[in-house]
Amino acid sequence: MNVLRIALFEIKKDLRDRRTLLFMLAFPIVLILILGTALTNAFNSGIEVGDMKLLVNNTAQNQQLQSYWNGFAQAIGREGVEVTPAANDIKGKEAVQDNQFTAYAEIDDNGIRFYGSSRETISSNIIQGMLTSFADKYSLAAAAVRNNPEAAEGIIAGSTSAGSFVQESSLDPDRKPGSIDYYAIAQSTMIALYACMSASWLIRGEVKRKTALRLAAAPVGKLEIFAGKVIASSIINFLCILAVVLFSKYAFGANWGHHLGFVFLLLFTEVLLAVSFGLGVAFLFKDESVNAVMMLFVQLASMFGGAYFPVDEASGFFSGLANVSPLRWANEALMNLIYNDDLNAVFPVIGLNTAIAAAFLAFVAITMRKREAF
Amino acid sequence: MNVLEIRNLTKKFGDFIAVDNMNLSVREGEIFGFLGANGAGKSTTINMISSLLRISKGEIQLLGRDIVKENKFAKMNIGIVPQDLAIYEEMSAYENVSFFAGLYGLRGSLLKERTEEALEFVGLGDKHKALPKSFSGGMKRRLNIACAIAHRPKLIIMDEPTVGIDPQSRNYILNSVKKLNQMGCSVIYTSHYMEEVEEICTRIAIVDHGKIIAEGTKEQLKSIITDTKETWIGVRNPERLDLDALKRISGVNSVRLEEQTVKIVSRGEINNLNWVIQQLIGDQVEISSVEEQAPNLETVFLTLTGRNLRD
Repeated sequence: MNVLRIALFEIKKDLRDRRTLLFMLAFPIVLILILGTALTNAFNSGIEVGDMKLLVNNTAQNQQLQSYWNGFAQAIGREGVEVTPAANDIKGKEAVQDNQFTAYAEIDDNGIRFYGSSRETISSNIIQGMLTSFADKYSLAAAAVRNNPEAAEGIIAGSTSAGSFVQESSLDPDRKPGSIDYYAIAQSTMIALYACMSASWLIRGEVKRKTALRLAAAPVGKLEIFAGKVIASSIINFLCILAVVLFSKYAFGANWGHHLGFVFLLLFTEVLLAVSFGLGVAFLFKDESVNAVMMLFVQLASMFGGAYFPVDEASGFFSGLANVSPLRWANEALMNLIYNDDLNAVFPVIGLNTAIAAAFLAFVAITMRKREAF
Repeated sequence: MNVLEIRNLTKKFGDFIAVDNMNLSVREGEIFGFLGANGAGKSTTINMISSLLRISKGEIQLLGRDIVKENKFAKMNIGIVPQDLAIYEEMSAYENVSFFAGLYGLRGSLLKERTEEALEFVGLGDKHKALPKSFSGGMKRRLNIACAIAHRPKLIIMDEPTVGIDPQSRNYILNSVKKLNQMGCSVIYTSHYMEEVEEICTRIAIVDHGKIIAEGTKEQLKSIITDTKETWIGVRNPERLDLDALKRISGVNSVRLEEQTVKIVSRGEINNLNWVIQQLIGDQVEISSVEEQAPNLETVFLTLTGRNLRD
């Protein structure tokens, strides 16, 4: 009951803080409008997908598979995919990381292992779709050969015709993000991360305001205070994100796909991650350093996570930085969810966000318990 | 019956001993003055009583029950008025009091009733919807008190509740303390204003270097220092004073200048007033008045600790 009381009081208090509220709501909406309008050409949906280069290490001994593969390779070649057999000494994954190839596939008698570029996500997704289609059709054909050889021929013939490997949905220009669509996602995930700024004040603010004394003197456990504050901060920040998402959807017509529930779930876990991170940093660093650490983290994570410009083309050190930005994870997962209907892209990010949040929350809870007062 | 009983209380921060084997008791229905200069161990003791700091050694009993073992009981029966304002500026006076009272288990109509009662008590009944940021310093101090009393604690700890406010608000607060006491609350009161302590406290303890060095009623404390006397000499040209020369006069314990008055504490058995006057005349200091002071708490404190309360 005390947790609820503390949470409700905190929410009420936050709602009175008009400056922060205005920032959380107006800042992303204005940025969506400005960046989305200014960079419209950069997101032209008519732009063709760049060169798609597939490096293949084919060690399959099965003659039938070899034969199907050769037909498939020719067919996707006509679709614009450059298939390059891997030399013996080449390291496929590293070649993709170095941006020499869009994707790398290892084929043997047991199946296909695929490794796609994290920089050229759209191209690598297309190739992945083609290979998945090939694997499905080959499996089907192999089964048919055993039971109905005539049907098998039809399947094989179909598998070597161009344009039959990727579902239309992923090549439909209308389902590519426009600039408003992109920035609606990027700004929403960015503002979710900003929750760490206010969260860093949850306990620190009580100490500064001296109300921590009263809270500590009241017959309420520290963990109840902590839980109440985390709940309140997560709710209030999530409500802001919710407002931004709905505003961008209905006022700007941004595409948020058909799985809004999963979109909100992912965004909520990102808020939780930000809140717990903010709290954790407030306990890890000295008071005067906390704001600087927060600001630095949020700005770098935003920049390298694609909040201001897409980071698909980043390479080297910047690519590494981009990959550790929670915004990058969230943005990629949301893009895949919205434009590829890929629900599987969302769950790892939800899991990762929740796990990191749990680690920070556990750290703060233990530190709080050990400390005298707050 | 004792509301509060402190036995062999010790608090260490690393090697530093902030409170050293302290023994103290506060009786039911008294206003207990707790005096000490900055760093004497007063706040540390108060923080241990209110469970903000852990006890290194010893024990504290509230109403006969150990505050560590029965922490919730202790917290339910203590109200704390911190030295610093501990209120939410963006929430109304009513919301502030109601929130803190709610943490003590008050709900529904009882919570509303007690919140209104506390605000009325401190004279903010008509300001219950106003935000503290629109309040004067005195009103904020009163709200600070209201937040501590709505749950009707048996013991109220007031840590310098009148710091930085106008005389009118100070009088209001002092009267409130007396009224709370009449209603059955025991109060521990700390202040840097000795006249406040003299006015309202029934018993007083003086703490220095983490130990109680004197305890008793005002009269009992004053009787401790019959071996000293204090002389106040009014001067018109204090710039000509040679304080070091005055300190060297036989029997003088301490000399201090406050505006145009030289305050000299001397050993009681020595009559050195002639020498003091001679020194002042020799320094061409114009004397306007000479008063022999009866011992007061300020003198007691100075004599026992060697420091002024405001040091």
